[in-house]
Amino acid sequence: MHRDFARNRFYYLILFPAFAVIVFLTVYPVIQVFVNSFYKYNYLNDVRLPYGFTNYVTIIKDDLFRTAFANTIVFSVIATAVEVSLGFFLALLFYGFFPGKRIAMIIVVFPMMVSTMVICAVWRTLYQFDIGLLNYLLKLAGIAPVGWLNDPHVALFSVILVDIWQWTPFAFIIVQAGLLSIQREVFEAASIDGAGYFQTIFRVTIPILWSQILLVILLRTIDTFRIFAKVFALTGGGPGNSTETVSMYIYREGFVYFNLGRASTVSVYTLAVIALIAIVYIRQILKGDET
Amino acid sequence: MRKTALEQKGLFFWVLLVIVLVLVLLPLYWIFVTAMKSPVENISRTPIFVPHELYLQNFVKVIQGGFFGNLFNTVFVAFFSTLFSLALSFLAGYALSRHRFPFRFNTVFLVWVLAVKILPPVVLAIPLYTLFASAHLLNNLPGLVLVYQVYTLPYCIWMLFGFFKALPVEYEQAARIDGASDLGILAYIVFPLMRSGVIATSIFSIIMAWDEFLFALLFLRNPHLETLPLLIVNFITEYETLWGNLMAIGLLATLPLLLFSGYVYRRMTTGFTMSLK
Repeated sequence: MHRDFARNRFYYLILFPAFAVIVFLTVYPVIQVFVNSFYKYNYLNDVRLPYGFTNYVTIIKDDLFRTAFANTIVFSVIATAVEVSLGFFLALLFYGFFPGKRIAMIIVVFPMMVSTMVICAVWRTLYQFDIGLLNYLLKLAGIAPVGWLNDPHVALFSVILVDIWQWTPFAFIIVQAGLLSIQREVFEAASIDGAGYFQTIFRVTIPILWSQILLVILLRTIDTFRIFAKVFALTGGGPGNSTETVSMYIYREGFVYFNLGRASTVSVYTLAVIALIAIVYIRQILKGDET
Repeated sequence: MRKTALEQKGLFFWVLLVIVLVLVLLPLYWIFVTAMKSPVENISRTPIFVPHELYLQNFVKVIQGGFFGNLFNTVFVAFFSTLFSLALSFLAGYALSRHRFPFRFNTVFLVWVLAVKILPPVVLAIPLYTLFASAHLLNNLPGLVLVYQVYTLPYCIWMLFGFFKALPVEYEQAARIDGASDLGILAYIVFPLMRSGVIATSIFSIIMAWDEFLFALLFLRNPHLETLPLLIVNFITEYETLWGNLMAIGLLATLPLLLFSGYVYRRMTTGFTMSLK
């Protein structure tokens, strides 16, 4: 009995540090965000007055917020869809043996190992309107130059393209791991039954890998929904507000105008959306946990 | 052995493979070649693919500008964030995998940690900023290490928890019968068995901290403390056209990872597949 108690105490003791840090860094701030969202709170002149739901109403009516929200959804959906599709395509391409496979794999995974800001820097030079490489290549092909980062209709997609370049390898690695775990006999059987290439993919591979694919979709959705660094470095939200995202909006309200009340309210809206994604994600993780 | 539909590699396969490799390598090559070009070559109207001579002045300028200071800051923050997270999550992961806490606390805690992983960090940034400001933890590297736990700790907890669950308890039971203490078991039995899991976990944790931008931007005001992502952004906004210098920074910042890419790749793959289980 006494030994059991000592053993239990040991487990409590070793869990405590991580627990304390998590509570300190997340529980307190989340509560703080909820509370502040009901205040008119400016950090610079230290005004903090109860404000009811006023922030919630004014923000949902704010055109810039709506733009930011729409852009974030567009970014998240397109980037995720393309990354997962391309990652799946790459995994199929790399299935089986071919000479030079190991080197090719390492090369394909390179973009994930390069720092995001270095990636942004090089894409800025590639996207440069007058002397950038991409417009030069377009000129060689006889196509008019594109204002990659200057044209409000194009800029968001240019940022998406950078995200795709960087994170497709991630989808690739995970789908590939799933693909390798499928018994070879499954494909052999499909082949003996006369299944062609596309039938093998759509009728056999995708159904078997579905839970893995879903996880990649969720992980990329979560990650692209919080997009900040790339927008900050590539466009700063411009031209106009064409690449403004929710994270940029919170950053601006909080750390440029120091309207902590408004920034908190936007955060709460964001949390509400994230919670929807989170529920699906957590279910999926816990489901895998039980098996 | 009969080749299945997915395994047949025809001409079409090789064409696609080459296209993929070019798309991946072109920007990487551009980092490399831009860093080697003189300022004049870099603003040439027709982009120059192969510099006429190796121009190393970019690297000299960047190093004189204090690159190694920024590198040190980045290494410091990445190393200690990871070390701190590994220590905490090694202990916590072990407790969560070996002991059933009351009130379904194991599940509650793990789900909360998972929720933190999902949270956009900018949501936490404002309350943490005011909190760290009053604790005088802004503008110093240990403060940044602490705030990076928001990223690295949830990740490490889940990863190590997964590795612990896959580890059979029989070794520990045997040691316990032999009279080993709890701490002794953890240090001499469990830790050596977990080594490869810990390494796999640390790789991605280091990459995350190395790459972090938002909190560095908000929490560091002193140029001497800037980490590399911050240095690069400031460079982009202030000296837009000095591409040679910018890419020299980029190349130097990337080199450590690329040199070990074979190793990193292997570890990262185990890491990712593990984190999905």
